[in-house]
Amino acid sequence: MEHYLIAMGVTAGIYAIMALGMNVIWGMAGLINLGLVGFFAVGAYTSALLTVKLGWPLAAGIVSGTALAALVGIGVSLITVRMRGDYLAIVTLGFAETLRVVMSNELWIANGTDGLSGIPGPLRGTLDPHAFNLLFLGIVWTVVAVLFVFLQRLSFSPFGRVLRGIRDDEGVVEVAGKNVVLFKAKAFAVGSGALGLAGALYGHFTSYIAPDLFAPLLTLYIKLSLLTGGLGNNVGAIVGAVLIVFFLEATRFIVPLVPAVSSVQAASLREILIAATLLLILRWRAKGLIPERIANISLPPPTAEARTQPI
Amino acid sequence: MTRVTRRKILKGAAAAAAGVALPVRAYAAGEAVKVGILTPLTGAGGADGPRMLKAMQAVFDEVNKAGGVDGRMFQTVVEDDQTNPEAAVRAARKLIEVDKVPIIMGTWASSVTTAVLPVCWESKTFMMTVSGADSISLLPHQGYLVRTQPTSKLQSIAHASYIASTGKMKIGVIGIQAPFAQSTKEHLDATIKAAGGSVVSHVIYEKDKSTYRSEIDQVMKANPDNLYLNGYAPDTVVVLRDLYKAGIELPKFCQSYAVPQSTLDANPPEVSEGVVTGSPSADVDSTAYKLAADRLGMREIDAYVAQATDWASLAVLTFAKSKEATGSAFKDNVRKVSQGDGVKVYSAIEGLKAISEGKEINYEGASGPCDFNEIGDIAKCRFRFTQVRNGKLEFLKIV
Repeated sequence: MEHYLIAMGVTAGIYAIMALGMNVIWGMAGLINLGLVGFFAVGAYTSALLTVKLGWPLAAGIVSGTALAALVGIGVSLITVRMRGDYLAIVTLGFAETLRVVMSNELWIANGTDGLSGIPGPLRGTLDPHAFNLLFLGIVWTVVAVLFVFLQRLSFSPFGRVLRGIRDDEGVVEVAGKNVVLFKAKAFAVGSGALGLAGALYGHFTSYIAPDLFAPLLTLYIKLSLLTGGLGNNVGAIVGAVLIVFFLEATRFIVPLVPAVSSVQAASLREILIAATLLLILRWRAKGLIPERIANISLPPPTAEARTQPI
Repeated sequence: MTRVTRRKILKGAAAAAAGVALPVRAYAAGEAVKVGILTPLTGAGGADGPRMLKAMQAVFDEVNKAGGVDGRMFQTVVEDDQTNPEAAVRAARKLIEVDKVPIIMGTWASSVTTAVLPVCWESKTFMMTVSGADSISLLPHQGYLVRTQPTSKLQSIAHASYIASTGKMKIGVIGIQAPFAQSTKEHLDATIKAAGGSVVSHVIYEKDKSTYRSEIDQVMKANPDNLYLNGYAPDTVVVLRDLYKAGIELPKFCQSYAVPQSTLDANPPEVSEGVVTGSPSADVDSTAYKLAADRLGMREIDAYVAQATDWASLAVLTFAKSKEATGSAFKDNVRKVSQGDGVKVYSAIEGLKAISEGKEINYEGASGPCDFNEIGDIAKCRFRFTQVRNGKLEFLKIV
């Protein structure tokens, strides 16, 4: 059982990294990015190809994967500069799907739908599988901790305030003399970088990546993590990711206890439960379990004079 | 604002306790042998997984009903692989590390199998699959894998030979993007060329499209005189419909797993009329296929159902041979019941009887002789061909 918990801990950590990255783009800057899994794929493929085909050291592969994902993020943000809301969501979803289809069909890049196997992991082979998982658990959660501190600083810096400004009212930020396009591109770079980092780590953990991995399912799980934890809030992103992995796994143990449900129905029931959770959260806890706290904002009570004046 | 009262907490706790207490299972004499079934119940493979699951459970039920192996029953633990490698790995870890299953069977997508296989061999868990990608058996799996799906090479050669025997020599191939797509085309081409024909056009499509009209137009440009539809069931339904709508009446050939009864029922009967399907098969005189079909109350079964039957049967017989429920025991003993000079048996029950009489056995399955080479691939097999007539599959021949 503890081996299983360790492996799930690694998964939760990788989800947390993704949720943190997504939080910068979506939670802080308000840009709805449904192409999350595309950036995850860029990081995973870059690091895997560099380490497998060119024999680069793991660290160099992971850093390159992160950097390339950040660059692609800047590219996507510049392409979509005129889009907001649903339109941005559709284009980013299209980006991720395009990438998946290209990786499926261009066999020369990474074996198409066969995928890339035998991706090296730190001390894999030297350690026994359980020790390897434990080591990876340490690595992933150290990354989560470092990333959390970094993003927390970023969030409360002037940069973070501008991003929230863009989210709440882009026009006002523009009028205040800020270069909105540049800030959006930076937000995308940081967020996609984190997503790419998660992808690179995932590839080195499981030793195998394939286009099927980068289906929209994962995007939805991360979106759900962020909504559960609290959009715009780094603590919420981590808590949400852990809760979602816990929930996804817990349903395996709970659903079979429901009497008179066949395995096929149970599988559907798990999906229904996940969908229902999303709906319940959106209905009763739209701001998540740990709502975003916006510090240092104290609006003065409207004066009698202001109340009488027409707006 | 909802308030959490003590009464509510008590109610909740009582409900939770009741939920946990309900499914108390009784075990027969001897500890049950746990079998992990990891198969797609949702996602792209959701059309095939439930069929395979039913076939596996039918075999285990039959064996349990007959008293199991030395009083030990088989208990299946089912997880949905969601046709997604990430979800499948999580499910596999649960099966291996929580349920402690020594064997996992039922993965379908090649990407899922390739993702799960390292987890299996690292924890010495045996695996049986239907995935066909050539690359899978080349992984360093240390013997912890057998697959009943013949490689795409074996299959394409047999299919091309059949097509050549009908006198049609210009094959148009239209198929889904999958690990077997490229190698199928190459081997079809090589085999039909030897007979004086060729693959005149080859179009690969994406899954989940609502129409394949443009792909069909593309494949028809080269004027093929017959079509090879290399897809899965959900997309084959659409391709057949679009071919019918376009008025194209060429002979059509499919994998049998693409044309289960559900594919035929999804369109009016005239749409699928005349489609020929091929699937791996055992010898002509083998009764395994008929036994498997009867067990499920069906007349014709497709390749996936046949293979699922064989995994379950092989697992039962291998356990009966070794009396040891560990992954290594399955790895070391599966070939002692699947091949060799022993007496031929066609079902788990028949095999158990022979083993209890002290005989060596050679299981001949519903999907073929189930003889595995050193990397876990099917060594050789025959092929069974059927044709659709009036919305039903009719047996043609075994080659």
